[in-house]
Amino acid sequence: MSRYRIPGKGRVDHAAPVRFSFDGRSYMGLRGDTVASALLANGVHLMGRSFKYHRPRGAVTAGSEEPNALIGTSRGKGRAEPNTRATMQELRAGLVAESQNRWPGLGFDAGAVNDLLYPLFSAGFYYKTFMWPRAFWDRLYEPVIRAAAGLGRAPGEPDPDRYASRYLHADLLVVGAGPAGLAAARAAARAGLRVTLVDEHAEMGGALLSDPGVVIEGRPAWDWLAAVLEELRGLGVRLMCRTTAIGYYHQNMIGLCERLTDHLDSPPETAPRERLWRVRAARVVLAQGAIEKPLVFDGNDRPGVMLAGAAQTYLHRFGVLVGRRAAVVTAHDSAYFAAFDLADAGVRIAVLVDTRDAPPADLLDQARRRGIEVLAGHSVTATAGRLRIRSVRVNRVRDGQVAGGRAIACDCLLMSGGWTPSLHLFSHTKGSLIWDAAAQTYLPGETIEDCHVAGAGRGLWGYGAVLADGDAAGVAAASALGRAAAGAAPAVAHDRTGSGEAQRELPSDMAPSLARAFVDFQNDVTAKDIRLAVREGMKSIEHVKRYTTTGMATDQGKLSNINGLMIAADMLGKAPPQVGLTTFRPPYTPTTFGALAGYHRGSHFELTRKTPIDAWAEERGAVFEPVAQWRRAWYFPRPGEDMEAAVARECLATRASVGIFDASTLGKIEVAGPDAVEFMNRMYTNPWSKLAPGRTRYGLLLGEDGFIRDDGVIGRLADDLFHVTTTTGGAARVLTMMEDYLQTEWPDLRVWLTSTTEHWAVAALNGPNARKVLEPLVEGLDISNDAFPHMSVTECRVAGIPARLFRLSFTGELGFEINVPARHGPDLWRALMAAGAAHDICPYGTETMHVLRAEKGFIIVGQDTDGTVTPADAGLGWAIGKAKPDFVGKRSLSRPDMVAPGRKQLVGLLTEDGAVRLEEGAQIVDDPARPLPMRMVGHVTSSYRSATLGRSIAMALIENGHSRMGELVHVPMPGRTHRARITGTAFYDPDGARMKL
Amino acid sequence: MQVTVEELAPVARFSLRVRDKGVAAVGKALGLTLPGRIGERADRGDLAVLCLGPDEWLLTAPEEARAGIVADLAGIYARAPHSLTDISHREVGFRISGPAAATLLSMGCPRDLDRLAPGRGVRTLFDSASVILWRDGPDMFRMDVWRSFAPHVRSLLEIGQQELAAGL
Amino acid sequence: MLLIHCPYCDETLPEAEFAYAGEAHIARPADPMATSDEEWRDYLFIRTNARGPHYERWRHVHGCGRFFNALRDTVSDRFLMTYKAGVPRPDLPATEDAQ
Repeated sequence: MSRYRIPGKGRVDHAAPVRFSFDGRSYMGLRGDTVASALLANGVHLMGRSFKYHRPRGAVTAGSEEPNALIGTSRGKGRAEPNTRATMQELRAGLVAESQNRWPGLGFDAGAVNDLLYPLFSAGFYYKTFMWPRAFWDRLYEPVIRAAAGLGRAPGEPDPDRYASRYLHADLLVVGAGPAGLAAARAAARAGLRVTLVDEHAEMGGALLSDPGVVIEGRPAWDWLAAVLEELRGLGVRLMCRTTAIGYYHQNMIGLCERLTDHLDSPPETAPRERLWRVRAARVVLAQGAIEKPLVFDGNDRPGVMLAGAAQTYLHRFGVLVGRRAAVVTAHDSAYFAAFDLADAGVRIAVLVDTRDAPPADLLDQARRRGIEVLAGHSVTATAGRLRIRSVRVNRVRDGQVAGGRAIACDCLLMSGGWTPSLHLFSHTKGSLIWDAAAQTYLPGETIEDCHVAGAGRGLWGYGAVLADGDAAGVAAASALGRAAAGAAPAVAHDRTGSGEAQRELPSDMAPSLARAFVDFQNDVTAKDIRLAVREGMKSIEHVKRYTTTGMATDQGKLSNINGLMIAADMLGKAPPQVGLTTFRPPYTPTTFGALAGYHRGSHFELTRKTPIDAWAEERGAVFEPVAQWRRAWYFPRPGEDMEAAVARECLATRASVGIFDASTLGKIEVAGPDAVEFMNRMYTNPWSKLAPGRTRYGLLLGEDGFIRDDGVIGRLADDLFHVTTTTGGAARVLTMMEDYLQTEWPDLRVWLTSTTEHWAVAALNGPNARKVLEPLVEGLDISNDAFPHMSVTECRVAGIPARLFRLSFTGELGFEINVPARHGPDLWRALMAAGAAHDICPYGTETMHVLRAEKGFIIVGQDTDGTVTPADAGLGWAIGKAKPDFVGKRSLSRPDMVAPGRKQLVGLLTEDGAVRLEEGAQIVDDPARPLPMRMVGHVTSSYRSATLGRSIAMALIENGHSRMGELVHVPMPGRTHRARITGTAFYDPDGARMKL
Repeated sequence: MQVTVEELAPVARFSLRVRDKGVAAVGKALGLTLPGRIGERADRGDLAVLCLGPDEWLLTAPEEARAGIVADLAGIYARAPHSLTDISHREVGFRISGPAAATLLSMGCPRDLDRLAPGRGVRTLFDSASVILWRDGPDMFRMDVWRSFAPHVRSLLEIGQQELAAGL
Repeated sequence: MLLIHCPYCDETLPEAEFAYAGEAHIARPADPMATSDEEWRDYLFIRTNARGPHYERWRHVHGCGRFFNALRDTVSDRFLMTYKAGVPRPDLPATEDAQ
């Protein structure tokens, strides 16, 4: 066993050694250790280098507030994490850990030259240094700063781990399982509440784990803890360890991040690494305790200098001595107890320096009994030692005068500047913080959330007070939810109460400009920096923070904020609350992107909708494209074909014989009821009253602003029944818009809307041979041109399946759309493919569909329109029922700017060189010789190579385009500017004869 | 923790929309009283009627009952106008059952399932998909998902089952 | 994520089931063609943008499907009340917390 581990002591398993490596060296720890406790047990204090000056650093804390001991951890390829806090990472067999921010090694680090240049790196260094010359900004300064910036190395490979998430609902969520949290959970659970209790550590107990000598309800602290946890389990309380409450959101929604596998030697293959919980709790008790403050003095960052409470935790939880000869410096009673416990465990307390003139007599008594020399009214002014503290310089302070110092040898220095209530989550609720002048700290004030702060988090000290407060908080939560609850404030013996005084930087006889008294360890901000920032005009703490970067590191100022504030306030001669406190924001501790992404990665990154024909298309080798949430077959390449070749073949085959297309994604809405036709007249621009059952019409939908929102073919199946189709992407939006009008503007109409998009699978047959393919499969219906002309709809059976059959065309060819109930979609598709074999039926995808419709000048809403296009702009004025008194958008069509000249209008565009395909989105100008920036008169909306026409075609929105037919315009593109002539949009069969075969 | 997920055989499903005086007439034609509160369900034999909105009910019945329901309601349309839309193919149904059923659903459903009593059903969300969630028993749920969303939902449920099987 | 009380379902439910639908109590003119350009412009585009209590519309889209009205404080993000569509605009609750 190592020199610093006390056999049998602590909550670690002394019978279970665990081997791990740090910077390539193999070490042994125990099950239950953190990386920090295991290294300390091996006498290793040096765990990292600081960010700016590359100063050697060791663990200051034993918790998640750790600023220094940040390490890289790895479990193999892709499973690497930078900035893991060694104080939180539990030991697991084979753990590979590395220190950060050093080269070539932790002991000798070339970057430490920055430390010698300390006088250069003042507050605001970047703002002052990298100003001039301007030409250096991009080429020199930025690369240099970027190379030096950042802490740790980001993993280079994709993260192979899984991450999970769940919702959770509770009557009461208790954050923090220290004495206050345990008492609150117990009182509430006894009253019958659904309680969840979370703690970020590997086990529950909080401060009790570091104070086993306290006796609660007649039992030693650890026995009491075990009994309470047993009772909570029995009461059905959900106990969650290794779970950090990362943020407090509206109406008691708390985000939790649970670490599931990082502590396991070999986690199950399918287990998620972390799980994000979204908890909705009727009441919340925040029992997050308090965080010990460092003291600010020269050399307070040397490895071996740590918080007194941390040393106490390493002793009791882990059985680890942080040194053999300890010095203590404190402004609070609590460090005495740490000193006593260490002394009782065999550590020589070289000196106990108290910054106060008159420490409590009973503590002095106890110190005297242990032979501890207490120097009251003293200050620590320096430390010595290269990679580990060797001695501490102690000076007497009287009436503000610092006397000459003496050096006292030690191998660790325990400090306590008092305690800061942990109010991060409370602050997330926008809760007010109230400055307590007596305690020199902020305490929780009012919040609009149903939330209560209990225990040390609201400035209470001592186990009796904290337990009673927690119990009362549990009772209050139960009462608020209407449950009778009886309080039972636990009796405490051997309590450890106390108080302290707040310090700024400790008085020193050293020239302030030379003192390296750190306020923010992680970002290397010293007291001098903060004073300088104030001298240079930073009057608010928010400015001081940004100028010095104090509180901006991954620990978010958990240790440094109050010290920084006290120094800034002193410099400004103001009370701290007048200087302010920076805002705490989620997350409480750094949170992995994996946990936040949860299941939404890879193929689940977003929801993908698939049609009934999707499997067939996949088997057939289709290339897919995303359209809204759908994946749609884009084209069907044959071996050796690229997209252009496949699309050309599909287009030609459809125009020559017959093509088949999966149109299932089109939105479908059943509009039914006695007032259906009136509703349609009010919603769509077109007139519907005279449309006979069995007939269809192209419908155009505007917003109330008069701009095109959607379109589609609409069939009237009966007097009171319409089958409306919408664009694929517009389906939900159109239904929402219709429901809105129906529910809130016209609730008197007896009409109902039902989405049937997914009830139907739709196959579109297009081409001169479409009827020949379909005819033999249709039962009991004559589909000849005379009996079933263009724009007809009927119900019939196709291939034995009940169907709604439309005759319509989005390609310009003779076309049918066959709707069958979705589960029969694949059967229908196979029947059509079989029947079409004799005609070389060609399946085509969305790209061919786009080309074929563009050859006809049919618009795609959202591609050829952009939310500023009126029916007239798009050349669709014919679709407006001018005799109708009203429809959605009608009034806007006569607004002055809608009828003013100069509107962009949809036209065709033919490049002079038919081999050139314009880029969609390319801007259009009248005269490319004009100086930049030149006026743009429009842009290309659609552009394709047309195999049918043997050249490129395009559509464009151009100012006054409708009156500029035949004119030349210019389209600048990368490389060169192309000339194109404005035309109509119908490039192919402009009379529409082919649709009416 | 035990939980099974199975895809259910197709049934006849209708969206029924009716209001005011028509409600009673439609109920009578179906041989039951349409439940009046959202989330409530009424059954007559194999016919289940779930109230989803103030004027919206979901009907489910065996496939062979389809024609009968259509004919029964067509008969009263003139005096009780309504909309009865066949949506049998729109959704896929999954049964999620076992002691961990509610836990599995909590990976995607933001509702407090303790407040969805057995015998009730509601429209809600699972991940980003709108679903109808029926609670048939303390440990037995049914989830109707629009067909195209079903592969995504199914695959998330499988991931959740693996998590539960791993015990974490 | 907010909690919203749906006045039709009579349940308080997670925001994820709802969709925002703009300011409330802006009725479509009964005869749009009879409105002046200015009146129609105001109907289309002019909104309150309140700091504090705001009458607005929501839809329980992944639930009962109904549009309804709400009074929400845009500072605290709290819903002060929700009520069914078609109900006249209620007065501000007198008991509203100053916080």
